[in-house]
Amino acid sequence: MAARRPLAKGATPDVDSPKSTPPISAVPAPNPPETVSTTRKQPPVEKPSDIRRRTWVILSFWLIVVCLGLPIWWETTTIYRANLPLTEMLEWSDGKACRPVFPLRISIQANALHEQEAQNLLRLTQHALDDLNDFSGHHLRLQLSPPTVEHAPREDGGTALTIRLIPGEATTSTLDPYAPILDITYPPNSIPSPTSSSSSLATYVASQLRSTFAEEQAIISYLLSSDSVPSDHRPQGLTPEAAESLSKRTTRSLKYAPTYHLTFSLFTSGPLPSSWDIEAAIDEYMKPVLDVLSPIHNFTIDTQVQLYATPGVQNQVLTKEDLSSFINAAEWPLSPSIGGAPTINFIVFVGNQTILTAPMENTETETYHTSQSWLIPQWGTVYLLPLPADTTQVSAETLKQPLLTFTSHLLSLTGTPQSGSLPLRLSTLARIRSADLLLRASSTLGSLARLALALPSISIPERVADGVSKTMTHLRQACDNLGGADGLAHARVAEAEAERAFFEKSMVGQLYFPDEHKIAVYIPLLGPIGIPLLMGLLNEVKAWRKRKRERAEKEAKKKE
Amino acid sequence: MDGGKVTLGRTAGLYAGAAVLRLALFTLFPGLPELLTGRVEISTPVTSFKRLQEGLFLYNHNVSPYDGGVYHQAPLFLPLFSLLPSFASWPIFTYLLYIAVDLLGAAALGKIADSGEAGSSALFQSPRREKRWSGFVIAAVFLFNPFTIATCIGRSTSVFTTCAILHAIAKAVSGAPFSAMVALSFGAYLSMYPLLLLPPLLLLCYDRQRPERAMPSGLRFAATNVCVVVSVLGVLFPMSYLITGSWEFLPATYGVQLTLSDLTPNIGLWWYFFIEMFDSFRSFFLAVFWLHLSCYVGGLTIRIRRQPLVVLTLLLGIFAIFKPYPSISDSSLFLALVPLYRHVFPLMRYTFVIAAIIIYTTFLGPAFYHLWIYAGSGNANFFYAITLVWGLGQSLLVCDLTFAVLRDEWEVERPEMVGKEIRQI
Repeated sequence: MAARRPLAKGATPDVDSPKSTPPISAVPAPNPPETVSTTRKQPPVEKPSDIRRRTWVILSFWLIVVCLGLPIWWETTTIYRANLPLTEMLEWSDGKACRPVFPLRISIQANALHEQEAQNLLRLTQHALDDLNDFSGHHLRLQLSPPTVEHAPREDGGTALTIRLIPGEATTSTLDPYAPILDITYPPNSIPSPTSSSSSLATYVASQLRSTFAEEQAIISYLLSSDSVPSDHRPQGLTPEAAESLSKRTTRSLKYAPTYHLTFSLFTSGPLPSSWDIEAAIDEYMKPVLDVLSPIHNFTIDTQVQLYATPGVQNQVLTKEDLSSFINAAEWPLSPSIGGAPTINFIVFVGNQTILTAPMENTETETYHTSQSWLIPQWGTVYLLPLPADTTQVSAETLKQPLLTFTSHLLSLTGTPQSGSLPLRLSTLARIRSADLLLRASSTLGSLARLALALPSISIPERVADGVSKTMTHLRQACDNLGGADGLAHARVAEAEAERAFFEKSMVGQLYFPDEHKIAVYIPLLGPIGIPLLMGLLNEVKAWRKRKRERAEKEAKKKE
Repeated sequence: MDGGKVTLGRTAGLYAGAAVLRLALFTLFPGLPELLTGRVEISTPVTSFKRLQEGLFLYNHNVSPYDGGVYHQAPLFLPLFSLLPSFASWPIFTYLLYIAVDLLGAAALGKIADSGEAGSSALFQSPRREKRWSGFVIAAVFLFNPFTIATCIGRSTSVFTTCAILHAIAKAVSGAPFSAMVALSFGAYLSMYPLLLLPPLLLLCYDRQRPERAMPSGLRFAATNVCVVVSVLGVLFPMSYLITGSWEFLPATYGVQLTLSDLTPNIGLWWYFFIEMFDSFRSFFLAVFWLHLSCYVGGLTIRIRRQPLVVLTLLLGIFAIFKPYPSISDSSLFLALVPLYRHVFPLMRYTFVIAAIIIYTTFLGPAFYHLWIYAGSGNANFFYAITLVWGLGQSLLVCDLTFAVLRDEWEVERPEMVGKEIRQI
């Protein structure tokens, strides 16, 4: 309807427009205003009102650009960078802020000795210890505990070990398996006289102590040496072999996590056995260890039974090479991780396969039952359990040996040192873990600081600054209480906060956003808007200057 | 078609015909309303009838309708639709409401057309003004436009905004600035963007004041009417607060339009852009897009000061292209106003191209959307390309209409140039 005529006439609809506009065609065309003769080529001079209107139009666009556009641009693209204490963060990561020192208090209980004698013995032993010690980070401080008649030493958190001196026939020492107590018997004549400057008993005690803590010292010095601790407090005397075995041990143990998930699985290649008394067995054989580990880790547990599960290797005798492919990862439902916690797998495989252990490879993981179980680093344990063919129910009793193996492997997987009595090993574990967390949190802080320095255009939200300050507070407290019980808790919080700050979501996205991208964003998007705006403004300014000049010339003419 | 006596009976027949057509579509094709409601071309996150029902359900169960982040429409819709008998059992009442709103809009449009404002405003008389269509024809073009019908059948709530805008213009043309401002406030309350129409609408009201109540001072007139808008909004917002019990509706309705937090595809140009946008630049480009949308208001109002209705029409066209959540409902409003300029149609140069593009995209858009979403043989670029072409077609129409109107003005100044080819420099 409306469009028909223009459509039909194509691009020259104006040809017949006079027909539709009689008022205009009625205006006599050959009666032009005086300008017409000159405007055959030149358009008539613009009316001042038109010029003013155009100025207003251009101004209206520029007002929006200047009054709204520029402030918004400034507001939305400035990068918020919370203040980070960069130098302190770098100090932490360089190890300058905290000198990891583990003051271990050892109390000596010598009920049979006089106060004076005991003091003297203590002084001599301390001297002997200090002479032996070559690693300043690991102190053993002796103190005399008030004589108590009771057998049990006071359970106070500050004391790492209690030495009970008991008069006896010969100089012997035994480590109490259930409590952090070292019993040392001595012949009565070995008590040093108040004036003597050395004593065989003191030397003996010192060397016993040193050997008790030797492993802990080695592990801690290994941790410190592998980190960026400056060489002046780097411990000396770590032999390459020792370092290698320690590194092997560290790679075997899982990364520290506050919670581990334990999965117990019973796999069988046939229809039987179809159930097991795993709950009773865990309560009986594993729970005690889990309980003592509870200050350091929480554990969650699930169990499963899988029938007709074929292993990856069907050989009767498994060689070392077979072990790595025994787990049928494709078919066995061993989920890598449930929830946030890392999973430790304990597998009982019902079958009469045995593991061939060549004498040379006897140095593998286990000290016993080498033929039936093996430990998979950072993953878990497999135990081969031979059962009579018609067993339908695996009793708790049958599970005793597997679970004890699992327990010892669990300690090894959590990084517990291998020597000493269990209480000592656990307290050592707590100290090792706090040192480890402290170092990790510090190095994360350092990475964050280096990142902030390296990318000046990355935005740093307030949350990151909060996380950093929390990390530093807790690190400081952890550092001050390294040997003590709070140290681990603080180090744990510090590490979690540091990780959270480093992996802040809004920062990760900007990691790979170089400045060149900004040109790529601005030019295609704003060019089409910017060019007309700018050209309009330029033309307007040019015209304005021309008018001004003309006016000046006119006035100059008038004056003449 | 031009002129022709329009009797009351013919007008009534037109409205009855439009109503019957809609009712027939609603009732004879029961699947059609649901199908159209689901189309992205008709229902946007801020106008969808499905989302309205979700909000209504929550509202009727005493849960905040904005919980769940689905409902992004004005709170006053809720009591309105709660008053109607339940849609599930008596859909006919909802249908009748939508039909009535369409007819009301058409009536307003007819009034605008009959006033002759398009051809002869207070400050400008087009030499071509005799050649125009009556209100009857223009209302018919609006009522039988497939886009309008589809919007009505799809029950997009944008029909209420369309109706409010048309009434605002109609009242302004008939010299009732107060009613015009109230209608505009309702439009702004429902969809926010009509607020940008305030400057040209003020000018239109000012130009068409009734002599007996005329306010000669432009500044005072503007201030009074802005106060009207502010006070009407100042009543509507507290009412919404009372209805929903919190100010949550502000971020949920206007906030969504401002921040484009719902990236459901639509026929506009924003969604694809902000899917691809770097996060750190998102807020900046949101501001750029909004400024771009609003910067035309000042320039056009100043440039075409003598014909404020043209400014309103062009702005509605620009909004239909550059709004954050446009739908064919916005295009139908623009296309409803374009026939008012029948007298400048001969000056337009690209009518064929424009018509071809609009028809082409109307068919290809749904096809490409199907390829992308249902068939899986296309991707988002297919649909976005078509929406680009659709935007191109509409912007060509806006440009061409601007050109025609300006040429019309120019020929009054330079009568000797009538019918001459011109060249833009």
